[in-house]
Amino acid sequence: MNTLRVEAGYLPGLSANEVQWQILPFAQGAQHVEVSVPVLSPDQMRTLAERVKRASAQHLKTLPVSEIISVIDRAVARLLDSNDPYRQRADALLPLVSGYDTEMVRLGLTGFFKTFRAPQLHRFIVEDFANPKVLDAFQPAPKGGAVRAYGPELLVHSWAGNVPALSLWSFVCGLLVKAGNIGKLPSAEPLFAGWFARLLAEVHPPLADCFAVVWWRGAGGEDADALYAQADTVVAYGGNDALQAIQRRLPVTTRFLPHGHKLGFGVISASALDTLKAPALARRAAWDVMRYDQQGCYSPQVFYVQRGGQVAPREFAGYLAGELANLQRRYPRRALDLAESVSLAKWRQAIEWNTSAPSGVDGLIGDHEAQWSVAYTDDAQPLAPSALQRSIVVAAIDALDDVGPAVQNRSAFLQTAGVAATPEELYRVAEQLGAVGVTRISAIGSMSMPEAGWHHDGRFNLLDLVRMAEIEQSAEAAAEPFAPYEP
Amino acid sequence: MNYAEPPDADILEFIAQDGCTDEQFDQLALRLFAYQYNANAPFRSFCQRRGATVRNVKSWRDIPAVPIDAFKAMELRCEPPSPAERVFMTSGTTRADMRGRHFHPRLDVYDLSMTRNFAQRFMQGVERMPMGILFPDEIAMPNSSLAHYLALAKSTFGSADSRYFMSPEGIDLEGLWLRLEQAERLGEPYALLGASYSFVHVIDALRQSGRSFHLPPGSRILDTGGYKGQSRELPLEAFYAALTELLGVPRELCINMYGMTELSTQFYDDGNAVVPSVKSGPHWIRSRLVDPATGNTVPDGERGILAHCDLGNFNSVSTILTEDVGEPAENGFLLLGRAEGAQAKGCSLAVEEFIRSAAS
Repeated sequence: MNTLRVEAGYLPGLSANEVQWQILPFAQGAQHVEVSVPVLSPDQMRTLAERVKRASAQHLKTLPVSEIISVIDRAVARLLDSNDPYRQRADALLPLVSGYDTEMVRLGLTGFFKTFRAPQLHRFIVEDFANPKVLDAFQPAPKGGAVRAYGPELLVHSWAGNVPALSLWSFVCGLLVKAGNIGKLPSAEPLFAGWFARLLAEVHPPLADCFAVVWWRGAGGEDADALYAQADTVVAYGGNDALQAIQRRLPVTTRFLPHGHKLGFGVISASALDTLKAPALARRAAWDVMRYDQQGCYSPQVFYVQRGGQVAPREFAGYLAGELANLQRRYPRRALDLAESVSLAKWRQAIEWNTSAPSGVDGLIGDHEAQWSVAYTDDAQPLAPSALQRSIVVAAIDALDDVGPAVQNRSAFLQTAGVAATPEELYRVAEQLGAVGVTRISAIGSMSMPEAGWHHDGRFNLLDLVRMAEIEQSAEAAAEPFAPYEP
Repeated sequence: MNYAEPPDADILEFIAQDGCTDEQFDQLALRLFAYQYNANAPFRSFCQRRGATVRNVKSWRDIPAVPIDAFKAMELRCEPPSPAERVFMTSGTTRADMRGRHFHPRLDVYDLSMTRNFAQRFMQGVERMPMGILFPDEIAMPNSSLAHYLALAKSTFGSADSRYFMSPEGIDLEGLWLRLEQAERLGEPYALLGASYSFVHVIDALRQSGRSFHLPPGSRILDTGGYKGQSRELPLEAFYAALTELLGVPRELCINMYGMTELSTQFYDDGNAVVPSVKSGPHWIRSRLVDPATGNTVPDGERGILAHCDLGNFNSVSTILTEDVGEPAENGFLLLGRAEGAQAKGCSLAVEEFIRSAAS
């Protein structure tokens, strides 16, 4: 047995032998990797937070935002270079800890990193700031006076795992608003964030102390409290219970930006279902299901398919099943643990033994041993989660207008909807879905690849992090008489 | 072979014999499978979806295991309903909306399976002994397989002074203390049988009143069924340590029975000196550990979900897929509790959280 040992996290000012380490074991087949994650004392956590705040005040807050973009761009260029040791480590180890297919991870990472290159980051910023210079200095405000945006002194991230490198989103957001950043690694993917921190420090050494990457057991104890107490803003990803637990331990003055679990779905119009277009659409839909085995917040769990096209909803479900079978050969699903296997089996059993189904057409498509599941229903039910792990429901609808009512009582869980429809239908559906809580509408096939600068959960990724400081016109006017050149 | 007639007589004979070979087990399992495949329509369509037919099922391992949820969704039976049949229902504590039902047109197979096995694993050579039952009787709970099991234990193996210590108000603790004192005084071995949670209430009551008993040598305890939210959760180690400390029954004679409404045969351990204990069944039931998503047997030595092939299940389906996690052990398996659903690791909503949020 060949066991690889990797040290995770990034702790400026602390040497490895000053902190305790916990080992998280991962194995895929005969390959084993042990990831050591740091466990800090509350005092160490406080010292670290102070160091990060101090350094970022000195070295990050003084950098113009376009220079920060250039630093990130250089780091991301290295991650896009398949010969770079950081990228090679990511390609080798992220499949091992996450269990995802190597090729799927490689493709996924490249697509993901591309959204963090300089042009994309500039676009990201103008999405939130019409004049990006407000991040650097006071800028004239349209109403008069001047305005400037300040990022947090210390932004704390509680990251989620399972989609590799997911931490990059909020980490980059924090950097763009010049925050000192400390992130807590997810136990399911404890590697990437630490690598990215090291890479940034290599690319631009003055930033070395402006961020840190830590870990704690479960929800954390006094170590987590010590860190949260120093944060002025906290971004957290996870289930609502976990988010609520974090919120309860924050001072009321701390800004809390939670991103809960979401439930994605697709809508397919009859107009997209002719015999030429439907198979290609099914292929794109299958990609959205396959990518990271539906672990993303944007992943589809149900496709609502309109009756009346050349290809019937049941036929479309058959195409989708065929495409998932193809993808299984190219990018096999990760091996499930027993709990995941139980959840999947329960979901499949509930469909298989559902006696209230009105007709004989409902049910699971394909072999019960397949590594994917397509369930077809003739009668669209209110939106509910599938078992993930490439399990998807295809539900027939009569009219696109039926989708809004089917999803509206799940509004707290809505985010992404993939739509395949004519331009007129697209806008009509978008109006209805936007009204019930959907915040992102993409093409089928792009659901699991959000574009650069998207508004995650309908929020302003950067604007939500900053505090605006204004010089009102009155102050400007009042200052005039005190100028030495005034008579 | 006649597939139309239930093979009850052969099953009764099989249970009565002493052990069996692998071939003998397979032979009867396949005969029962052929009967159920023909007589039980929902089971047949389940098998067809799994590609299992009378032709290609060649060993008990090939018989598709029916998930216990199916007992909730439909009537899994071979014989039509009859006025004399007994229906055992699951307690429905995990999902109150629907209860699993197991139809027994006759109880002769169930009763023989229970008594043969109980004589060996619990009585251990003793013919009769005084018993105290910490569970409602069959009149109070006509649809409980456990109530029937305990009534059968009392009538077949209990001496005349055996009795229930259960009233609508709960356990008759005063009566129980008096009876235990009497057993101590007479030096006569005593057996206490009941649901695991009833014993937790006994433990708590004894602790509260500062009492304890030292039951005479040969006294024994049978607990079953876990806590089911009816008492506080006590780790196995603490549970058996408390029974020994407060009742004076050595842990070797604190026997746990693992049974299910969906089965007609029970599993036992050989006491709980070490927990979790190894569970095993008699020669007419066999178990394998499966990956529930595929129904395939897991590789040797790995944990899996328990699937049981019970030849006593003549009227429903012989082979069921439980929701219990098992680990292979020498001469049996370790029972590691109920399988928990997966918690979401990513950012996609998982069923578990969704159900919780819908319930709150």
